[in-house]
Amino acid sequence: MIEKFRRLRLVWFVAIVLTVGLMVADYRANKVIELRLGLFAGSNWNVPQGETYIIIDEVIERFEAEHPNVRVKYVSGIKREDYSEWLAEQFLDDAEPDIFFVPAEDFNMYSSMGALMDLTRFLLLDGTFDPTDYYPAAYRYGLFEDKPYALPRESVLTFMFVNKSLLAREGIAMPSNDWTWTEFLDICRRVTRDTDGDGQLDQFGCYDYSWKQAVISNGLNLFREDGKASYFASARMEETVKFMMELRSIHRNYEVSPKDFDMGRVAFRPFSFAEYRTYKPYPWRIKKYTLFDWDCLKMPAGVSNGNTSTLDTLLVGMSARTNEPELAWSLLKALCYDKTTQEMILRKSQALPTRRDVVLSTEAQEIFQWNSTDNAAMTSTDISAAMDEAVMPPKFKGCADAMLYADSEITKIISGVISFSNALNRLQKEINARLQY
Amino acid sequence: MKRRDFTMISAMLRLLYVYNAFVVMSLAIFMCITQRKIIQSMTARSFLENISAPPASSTEILLWSATSFIVLSSLGKFYRRAERKDIRNMLFASEIIVCMILMHSLNLVYDGVVLLVAADLMYRYEGNYREYILLAAMLGLYFMANYNLAIFQLKVIRFDEYLSYYNSSMQTCLAAVKNIFSSLNVVIFVFYMVMIVKNRHEEKERIRLLNEQLADANEKLRLYAIESEQMAEIRERNRLAREIHDTLGHALTGIAAGLDACTMLIDSAPEYAKQQLIRIRETARRGIVDVRRSIKKLRPDDLEKLSFKDAIMNMTTGFAASSGVDVSFTIVGLPKELREDQQEVLYRVMQESLTNAYRHGGASRVNISIGGGDGRLRIVIADNGRGCDDVKPGFGLRHMRERLELLHGTLNYWSDEGFIVEVEIPLNREVHDDKDTDS
Repeated sequence: MIEKFRRLRLVWFVAIVLTVGLMVADYRANKVIELRLGLFAGSNWNVPQGETYIIIDEVIERFEAEHPNVRVKYVSGIKREDYSEWLAEQFLDDAEPDIFFVPAEDFNMYSSMGALMDLTRFLLLDGTFDPTDYYPAAYRYGLFEDKPYALPRESVLTFMFVNKSLLAREGIAMPSNDWTWTEFLDICRRVTRDTDGDGQLDQFGCYDYSWKQAVISNGLNLFREDGKASYFASARMEETVKFMMELRSIHRNYEVSPKDFDMGRVAFRPFSFAEYRTYKPYPWRIKKYTLFDWDCLKMPAGVSNGNTSTLDTLLVGMSARTNEPELAWSLLKALCYDKTTQEMILRKSQALPTRRDVVLSTEAQEIFQWNSTDNAAMTSTDISAAMDEAVMPPKFKGCADAMLYADSEITKIISGVISFSNALNRLQKEINARLQY
Repeated sequence: MKRRDFTMISAMLRLLYVYNAFVVMSLAIFMCITQRKIIQSMTARSFLENISAPPASSTEILLWSATSFIVLSSLGKFYRRAERKDIRNMLFASEIIVCMILMHSLNLVYDGVVLLVAADLMYRYEGNYREYILLAAMLGLYFMANYNLAIFQLKVIRFDEYLSYYNSSMQTCLAAVKNIFSSLNVVIFVFYMVMIVKNRHEEKERIRLLNEQLADANEKLRLYAIESEQMAEIRERNRLAREIHDTLGHALTGIAAGLDACTMLIDSAPEYAKQQLIRIRETARRGIVDVRRSIKKLRPDDLEKLSFKDAIMNMTTGFAASSGVDVSFTIVGLPKELREDQQEVLYRVMQESLTNAYRHGGASRVNISIGGGDGRLRIVIADNGRGCDDVKPGFGLRHMRERLELLHGTLNYWSDEGFIVEVEIPLNREVHDDKDTDS
């Protein structure tokens, strides 16, 4: 009797477990999963952008079509300058989006505290993903301690803006893309003069060219990979500082203002690719720099290196606390790796796609032609080459503070406030000491 | 007395729990409020800059700490009540795990709950390396609490990182409050431990006192036993005297008086004197019967009521029961017809040997073999006691030998893995001897 009762109870138990299990499975299969996306309105690159969410909306539409039970949501209207704080608040409330844009200044913070998902396993398991499709400087920007924590979505290179009208007026030929510091100095020296004869210099060689850009063009990595040591006392740094002092002496201590540049009285100015994309083609070109013809060149090569510049990259990462890592990875890929998305970035944003095959595509060639009358100096091959050569800016923790200190010290050295002899050695010692903390 | 202390300890433990619940909730609420405030004041970015782990949300902190504390306290309750050892160990292990979860959900800010676990463990202190378990458990928990995160791969937000949101005077104040929380917890814990130690000490003292009383009572009992033995002896002597007076005295008096009369009559009336002598003989016979009856009263009760075999069985069982000595029999042959005096002597010999084996040899096992042949009965009493190389016969052994000699028996004894007593008596004189001794 008791035996029978026991068996009956067991049957009931199994039946209930099975029913509950099936119900849960059914619920999970039919449940609408919500993925949240964190992003900011407008461009990451300080340039005006029209239809802010057009690319994102299209990606989401495509993603939802592929995954019928998934809805992707995002909060719109967060400005770029508020985004960092907004994201931090979400983290503090354990409500961060599954996938979110990672501002460059936050990447190190989030990856070191373990808030970003380590993407290694997805990379290993996903046969359709190949990191070598990206430009190395862009992909490596998303690494922390050699592990991938974010994927590059779009990049921006720094070029040299050239005032073609001014050069033509002075009878100087447009330099080629492999020009050097010597040529740069030579042109600056030739254009810097008093044109109206009032005894004051009113035409200048360059504006806003900083020692940091020169360092990169001279092939110097200022910091060791781990951010625990610096190389301010190296020979290349010395060459750079000497070059900057020479450049400064040309202007005879006159501080070139943005107004001088806008009025077309300056030959060169470093220019981000986003600005180039924004102001070069039609609607925006009539807003700025209408007084003269202009174009862009690669940065002039230093004594010891080629025409290198920095590649700034916008990263997208996954929250380590996401409930749906597999889906989030698919969305992340759709946002950053998908060829269609990258082509849209090329077409509809001011930044550069991070995939080499997209930059080198025929469509890119057409876009970079701008218009047939304008003899553009930049071809997509040039851009791709520049991106391949480009280096990523340092991003370790404390890098911003170190750079700030170095900037003030080096500016003093260049302007002669501190005597040049041995100053770099002392600077390196001081910065190394700061980096040890 | 004991009861009161115990309730005092329980009350202290309850206080410790209530206090810790208060502290845990206060800290959880403090963290939640701080996180809220940080979000409201738009300083989340700079807060995140300084912390080393993504924080949990306010609700999560509250929920986790409250749930884990409730689980911890109910586990503690079950642990204190559990009877079975394996269940108790399991409960204690889970208590440690839940304690870790609780500490982690509070970002390892408060390590006082470790003392809670320790208090539970000490509540059921049972010796056997318990203190080492306690030491290991507490070291492990404190190790974790002291940010040794490399081992556990746990990342948490430190308390001072929360404090950094506030201005410096508020920071000092909050840090002081947190320190007071910890210190007060330690104070309660120490007091609780003192209560436990005091309780144990008093219990020990009580046991010592009881032991003393017991020893005292034992001594009194011993003296009383000696006294009562003496009293019994006196009583027995008096009874014997009475018996002798009543029976032998009476008969002898009658015989003496009758003989006096015969002395006078023998010449004058010899016939009458003859009759008188017959009467005197009757009196003497009656006297013998009376004496026999008196002697019978001295025999062991068992022998009177039971068969010899049952009587010795009864005696040994009683002895075994009272002394704890294991007594076994090997009976090869026991003659059916044993005279009462033989029975009695053998009974007394066995009794005395058992007593000796227990008292002098400290034996735990005694074997009695009974057998015989050729008209002799042989009994060997062997024990596993200390034995004795050089036996100095005391009163007991001498008395035994004397009694046996009356039956023409022999007594031998020696030591060999214990003490062995061998008794032998002849059986075939039964009828003669009976007549001899009786008439």
